[in-house]
Amino acid sequence: MTYRVVHRTEYRYDREVFSTYGEARLHPRELPGQRCYSTTLSVDPFPEEYRVRRDFFGNRVAHYAVLEPHLDLVVTATSLVDVQGRPAPPPGTSDRPWEAARDRLLSDPDPEAREARQFTLPSPAAAGSDVAAAYVADSFPAGRPLDEALAELTGRVRADFEFQPGSTDVDSTVDELFARGAGVCQDFAHLAIAGLRALGLATRYVSGYLETDPPPGRPRLEGADVSHAWVAVFLPGWGWIDLDPTNDQLVDDRYVTVAWGRDYADVPPLKGVIFTEGDSHQLSVSVDVTPVDDEETRRAMA
Amino acid sequence: MTDPTVPAVGAPYEPLPGAHDDLVAPDGTLRGPWAAVAPTLLGSGDLDRRSVEAARLLADDGVTYQGAPTGGPGHRPWAADPVPLVLAADEWATLERGVAQRAQLLDRVLDDLYGPRRLVRDGLLPPEVVYGHPGFLRPADGIRVPGAHQLFLAATDLARDDQGRHVVLSDRAQAPSGAGYALENRVVMSRVLPDLHRSAQVQRLAPFLRALRSALLSVAPDTDDVPRIVVLTPGPWSETSFEHGYLATQLGVPLVQGEDLRVRDGRVWMRSIDRLEPVHVILRRVDAQYCDPVELLPGSSLGVPGLLEACRIGNVSVVNTFGSGVLENPGLMPFLPRVAEVVLDEELLLPSAETWWCGEPAARHHVLTHLEGLVVKPIARGAGTTTQLGWALDAAGRDELRRRIESRPHEWVGQRPVAIGTAPSLVEGALAPRRTVLRTFAVTEGEGYSVMPGGLTRVATRPDQLVITNQAGAVSKDTCVLAAEPEHLTGFWLQPPPDAGALVPAGPSTSPRAGEHLFWMSRYAERAASLTRLLRVVTDRRNEFAAGATPAGVASIQVLLRALTAVSGTWPGFSGDAGAGLVARPDDELRSLVVDELRPGTLAYDLRRLLDAATEVRDQVSGDTWLVMGHLDRELDDLRRRAPLTPDPILLGRVLQALIALAGLAAESTVRDGAWRLQEAGRRLERALQASALLRATVVDSVDTATDSLVLESALIVAESIITYRRRSRSRARVVTALDLLVVDPDNPRSLAFQTRALRAAVAGLPGPATGASTALRRCGDAAELVAAADTSDLGHLDDGGRRGRLAAFLDDLDDHLHRAADAIDAEHFTHQVPQRSVFTPNDPGRR
Repeated sequence: MTYRVVHRTEYRYDREVFSTYGEARLHPRELPGQRCYSTTLSVDPFPEEYRVRRDFFGNRVAHYAVLEPHLDLVVTATSLVDVQGRPAPPPGTSDRPWEAARDRLLSDPDPEAREARQFTLPSPAAAGSDVAAAYVADSFPAGRPLDEALAELTGRVRADFEFQPGSTDVDSTVDELFARGAGVCQDFAHLAIAGLRALGLATRYVSGYLETDPPPGRPRLEGADVSHAWVAVFLPGWGWIDLDPTNDQLVDDRYVTVAWGRDYADVPPLKGVIFTEGDSHQLSVSVDVTPVDDEETRRAMA
Repeated sequence: MTDPTVPAVGAPYEPLPGAHDDLVAPDGTLRGPWAAVAPTLLGSGDLDRRSVEAARLLADDGVTYQGAPTGGPGHRPWAADPVPLVLAADEWATLERGVAQRAQLLDRVLDDLYGPRRLVRDGLLPPEVVYGHPGFLRPADGIRVPGAHQLFLAATDLARDDQGRHVVLSDRAQAPSGAGYALENRVVMSRVLPDLHRSAQVQRLAPFLRALRSALLSVAPDTDDVPRIVVLTPGPWSETSFEHGYLATQLGVPLVQGEDLRVRDGRVWMRSIDRLEPVHVILRRVDAQYCDPVELLPGSSLGVPGLLEACRIGNVSVVNTFGSGVLENPGLMPFLPRVAEVVLDEELLLPSAETWWCGEPAARHHVLTHLEGLVVKPIARGAGTTTQLGWALDAAGRDELRRRIESRPHEWVGQRPVAIGTAPSLVEGALAPRRTVLRTFAVTEGEGYSVMPGGLTRVATRPDQLVITNQAGAVSKDTCVLAAEPEHLTGFWLQPPPDAGALVPAGPSTSPRAGEHLFWMSRYAERAASLTRLLRVVTDRRNEFAAGATPAGVASIQVLLRALTAVSGTWPGFSGDAGAGLVARPDDELRSLVVDELRPGTLAYDLRRLLDAATEVRDQVSGDTWLVMGHLDRELDDLRRRAPLTPDPILLGRVLQALIALAGLAAESTVRDGAWRLQEAGRRLERALQASALLRATVVDSVDTATDSLVLESALIVAESIITYRRRSRSRARVVTALDLLVVDPDNPRSLAFQTRALRAAVAGLPGPATGASTALRRCGDAAELVAAADTSDLGHLDDGGRRGRLAAFLDDLDDHLHRAADAIDAEHFTHQVPQRSVFTPNDPGRR
């Protein structure tokens, strides 16, 4: 499926902002099973500085600076992405006992496996949590196949926690999620990350988009989509298995991958520093993930 | 021939059992290098006196470690042992090779870790050692420092083991400190022990400063400009702020804080009071994590937003580079010998303390089963974990430590304890062996490293102490490397620089922040001086009229007490009806006016603010000025300690002397640049305000002829104009003569006319605003014109109510102009940093 993704973020400030220095991780990655035909970013007011680079994890990062006074700032990313045939682990890989993945990771001389070992360590926004470790360990009895254990885990997360936008913020910890019993996608991702890492499984945080279906019989609403986050677990000898604890499913062709890192703090869609006497702002985000079925567009892309 | 036995200095010298001692061999004879220096050093027999002398010199230079140099909570003077650490030429040559090799090795590791990471991929370093260390900064990936090396300055902490071999205890690479202290120690010790330094041919440290300077130039990006270097400091409250200012001064480069810099066009610019200047090299003393709130620690206000991106583009070089802190990980130590063989094709010359990294199962097992015999260290400093001595823990403590290691094994190492060797130190008047740790410094030089001949030696304060750090209260020693052959004297400035002309950039730079501190420094100095003078006069008058027999004397004291309140701005104080009680019994209030450091307007407060402002601009303040500041600091300490009941005339005299010396240095020893003009403007503005307040409090209201006369005389004494007044007062009415002298006389450097004209001249010499005319200059002009047009006969006119209303109105107008001028100077020259905030957008709200 081919999608047009429009991700618009607007900051409205109560007082004039004299300058903004920021980073955007909004350009989708190129992956097996994901092609990014085009991706552009616009910043309004026009930024005096704008450069795109790849970060440590290979994500595309746009660095921008707006150095004239402004009362609002709009960053819009527009991408055309084709997701098709995301590879899935073949039989004889993820259906083996989960301990095999853990043990092979430590002995595998493959550079990719050695690099993946950094994702077994606690990270700033997904610090070690005894509660999360115990919660996740319940799905990983000795000898259970990895895919089965992961599927059970995502099912439990969906059943045990309430999905509640606005219940947490970007600094919420895993322990707070347990205390509250409700959270959003990044909280569920951090929970899975903290628990899986405690088992010795390399787990990373992935940010991106999910195409959503309108309720039956209703038209698609513009701006109704959102950015999303899930996790990926490394299976030595094969690669990363992406799964979505928020929706209890494996990541498939309806997901668009933008960036990954150890946790949210490595890949926020936007982050930055502003200079202002004011102390509050209003944030509005709208995301549209629209399937493109127009033949002409597709031919143009091909 | 020298006597091969230990010279008797106080108590007998007994080496610690099991530790190598620098002075005495096991057979009781003096070791080699000491045979050469012991007679000179120990023969004089007055080490105690020299120790006191060293402490005084260090205090005069304002040398401190940890926190506020001027009496803040963390205030700690730098302590130095007069007995140096002495190293023989041949032993040093070996050590130097080892130190340089270690720097080369760590450089190659650093180069790889922020580049291809082959060491990790190919299995020479476990991924967890690198990726699990908080010093590994992923945003630094791919940032390159120009030149042969990524590691700019390396420091190595070394101790002798029981065999006397030097062993590496730890590496410092994030932003190593100590080189400046080592240089300052040498400066002081060569003054305290001149004989030693003359006779024993100690290798000089000055060339290291040159090497540092050349190294800074060598890492500058390609530029058509003369490379501009700055030292980036977190500010005067940092532990090692003395050193930041010291290095900036010695290198002749600006000392800046994050807010002085900004990124624009992908370059770093320094805001100076008259221009924006490009910055090419930053000697970084702000911890890497705090340097860029966009990419590193959000919320840090010590850094510069966009700095990493400017480094990535290659327009600025920051040294040590971001992420070099990963090299401080003791978990790397077990792997270094093998890495040296592979990347350098050399054997590692300096052994590290034997170390087991707990991330490896076998090593972890060893540590967990030998806890009681090991030093257990977290791989990173801070974060609530400290080094633990296994044998000092009880069973419960060891269990707790075991649990912590098992839950995050990669974050711990165990080290075999080194029986840290001792060196002779002066302890309570006698020589005694104390454990010492030597920190060496190596700076990039061409393809190799230049090693400081010596280093910073720290000495344990107790015989049993094994953790020897400045945080733990260690004292320092000069480190003397003996020269193999007589050395040619070299001073930093004696030799032509490598690229003559490229060294001194166009004109010194003063940031708006520094400018503001300089302005306020002189304002507080003037306030303190004027208050001190008035306090002295009040004290004298009270002594004179204490008996109360002279009604005019008593009345004049009352007027002067109220003047004290007015001049110091410590209302209500002696003023008003409420003040009448205080006027009757003034001792408590007078005491408060002197010693109450937290009450704005008091002498102690003014001095404190003066010293704080000076500390903020260390690099702009000359050595002699610092000497005077040192005196003031001690007077302030004295005030705090003794808290005299009444103003002590001797103390007031000493304070005044120091303040006069400061003004003299500003007048006679300061180049007339923008920084000086700001100081001058502050001085003139404040002196005019003080003079105005004094006149208002003493001349406006008339009591009776006798009282007025005594008050006027006192005011003239405070205004330093009494002698001239006496010479002139024959012809005209007394008040008008005084006003002639204090208001309009253009030749009296204490008159209002003089202050306002000098103020205008100083402000006229400052750069104007980018567009339009300077408001500050216009306001200063208004003040000068008001004073110039004053008619003293008119101002002296006494109303029917016994009041000089016209004088009062004139002074009110003048104050108004002066306050507006001050506001305009502030607005035009001290651009205040707008507060900085961090913003994020979440991956939120997600969707089901």
